[in-house]
Amino acid sequence: MAPEHPDQATTATGLPEGGAGIEATAVRRTFGSVVAVDHIDLEAPPGQVTALIGPNGSGKTTLLLILAGLLQPDSGQVRVAGFDPVQDPRAVRSRLGWMPDVFGTWESLTCREVLATMADAYRLPRAGQDARIDELLALVHLAEFADRPTQVLSRGQKQRLGLARALVHDPSVLLLDEPASGLDPRSRIELRGIVRNLAAEGRTVLVSSHVLAELDEMVDRAVVVARGRTVSVETLNGPPSSVPRSRPWRVRALDEAALLRALDQQGVAHGSPEREGVQVELDTEDAAVALLAALVRDGVPVVSFQPSAGVLEQAYLALTEDRR
Amino acid sequence: MSEVMTTHPARPDSPSGSGTWSLTAHGVRTVAVLELRQRVRSTRWIVSLVVWAVVIGGLTALIQLTLSPMVSSGEPDDETGAAMFGVIVFLVLSLGMLVSPALSATSVNGDRTAGILATMQSTLLSPAELAVGKLLAAWTSALALLATALPFVLWSYLVGGTPIGRLLVTLVVLALTLLVVCAVGLGYSALTARTSSSAVLTYLTVAFLSLGLPLLFGLTVPLVTTDDSVTRRESVEIGQSGDVTSSRCVTTTTTTEQTHTERSWWLLAPSPYVVVSDAAPTPRQSFGDPLSEIRSAVRSARLGPDPIEDWCGDEITQQLVDRRTRLASEQAAAWPYGLGTDLLVGVGFLVLTVRRLRTPTRKLPRGTRIA
Repeated sequence: MAPEHPDQATTATGLPEGGAGIEATAVRRTFGSVVAVDHIDLEAPPGQVTALIGPNGSGKTTLLLILAGLLQPDSGQVRVAGFDPVQDPRAVRSRLGWMPDVFGTWESLTCREVLATMADAYRLPRAGQDARIDELLALVHLAEFADRPTQVLSRGQKQRLGLARALVHDPSVLLLDEPASGLDPRSRIELRGIVRNLAAEGRTVLVSSHVLAELDEMVDRAVVVARGRTVSVETLNGPPSSVPRSRPWRVRALDEAALLRALDQQGVAHGSPEREGVQVELDTEDAAVALLAALVRDGVPVVSFQPSAGVLEQAYLALTEDRR
Repeated sequence: MSEVMTTHPARPDSPSGSGTWSLTAHGVRTVAVLELRQRVRSTRWIVSLVVWAVVIGGLTALIQLTLSPMVSSGEPDDETGAAMFGVIVFLVLSLGMLVSPALSATSVNGDRTAGILATMQSTLLSPAELAVGKLLAAWTSALALLATALPFVLWSYLVGGTPIGRLLVTLVVLALTLLVVCAVGLGYSALTARTSSSAVLTYLTVAFLSLGLPLLFGLTVPLVTTDDSVTRRESVEIGQSGDVTSSRCVTTTTTTEQTHTERSWWLLAPSPYVVVSDAAPTPRQSFGDPLSEIRSAVRSARLGPDPIEDWCGDEITQQLVDRRTRLASEQAAAWPYGLGTDLLVGVGFLVLTVRRLRTPTRKLPRGTRIA
């Protein structure tokens, strides 16, 4: 979007100085006796999409509220776009777009009015506002609803309006809390494209989500939190995790009996055959390569050989077994 | 990241940079326009105003029917007009105080429930702009009610007996009272999580100000009643010659119970009924119109009991009565204190609202999610 509006990209948000992304160190926040966030470290560099994943109640939304400058941390260091949200909330707000998980909207305002109100709230100049709003509505495919009240929108459409709302002031840092919930498949694919583009423009994007399969193709890094603590940081678009981790693979062959025989010969532990194939547990990707080669060599008619779950899902399940 | 574990102490007064109190016309207008658009379109606004007009119109007609035959002497139109004016002003004031909380008492916690408050808080709008914008929007709605009632107030004005100054002062006091009620509702909506609690608390507070305080004034009468020595002038018979009893005035000093309302009058002053009655200039003819009755009662309460009781009914008596009347009209006005108190209450609730809207927050209202 920014390339079409170069003037805006450089005025309100100052993309160059927003290069600091998000840095949160040892953040802690309690509500009375409930520890919502115990000790979270999180870094979301500019130009990348970082995922924040974790079970329900693991402190994701609380952390996002702290990053958005709505909640004070009890302790810890937070920097958003180079500013401390507690010390300098206005500097953070002018550079931050926040899409909340609970999407409320002014039911009787039209989509255009919602975005115009947000533009006013961010003190954007009136000149160019209409063009900016048209552009955003087109981006989230709501142009035909521009002058309809938001109460006629479906949940997914409201979600898309929420994304447009978070983008009104061309922020350099984006916090998206469950952006894909309620979206139809096409909208999810489009959301992925929008988010990737935002990162490609140099913005920092932090996405919290449960839809792990979606995130696999959208994010560069994933921060896994559980019980209010950072338990792991996974890098997806880089070399595989240095720590070898056993993960399940699915093998399907036209001749199931031959496959099972070959697996037994190789001494590979396997589950019982299911519709999607046979599940085997392999320690490394090298082991997977070796097994596939052996199966082909033995003449087993293999039709598919793949990880049985996404990378993130694997990491997630391994790390959050002790869910509360 | 060398600075690890920096704690953020609670900072009651944020230094520059947080902009809690920054107030721009642009920001206030953005919030007020948003609130009005949302409210005007989401409620059956026209229907409400028509119902409101029908109720007030019907009651006005009834009042005129009731009052007309009761006035038998003097200038009937002036007296009917003054009485009608008083009753209708009280009616508009009462209904206005009943309806206004509905406009503002849900504006913060309602937005919180709907998940739209945090969205506004995450923008560059300051807490003060949010609070003042919401207050102005609620007040505008309340003024719309007042404007709808205006034709009926004018009707009683046209019947006669009401000076134009009385009309204007009354309207200004009504508008300010509704502003205070809106501010109280706004404050409670920021303090409580549930819209029903804030509405109830607003009604209780308004009822306390308008009826509870006068009741308290009545209940404190024993506390301010003391046995005092008073100077009493009374007629004493000094002899009888034929049918004529001659008497003369004798001054004695006796001890009697005196109720020192000059010590407790301030309990009456903040009641909006008292403020509106006391602030309005007196009508040309005042017999039994509610505003003038309350006005003279409050002023006499403020003056307290007269240290000289005069039962003679001679020239000196008349002088004393005149002196007291002059004191009442010149030095005993209670409304500046009452209106001042009310406005202070309103400002207090507005400040409270701004403080509750500050972000990042330390505390959350019990049982709420922030969004």
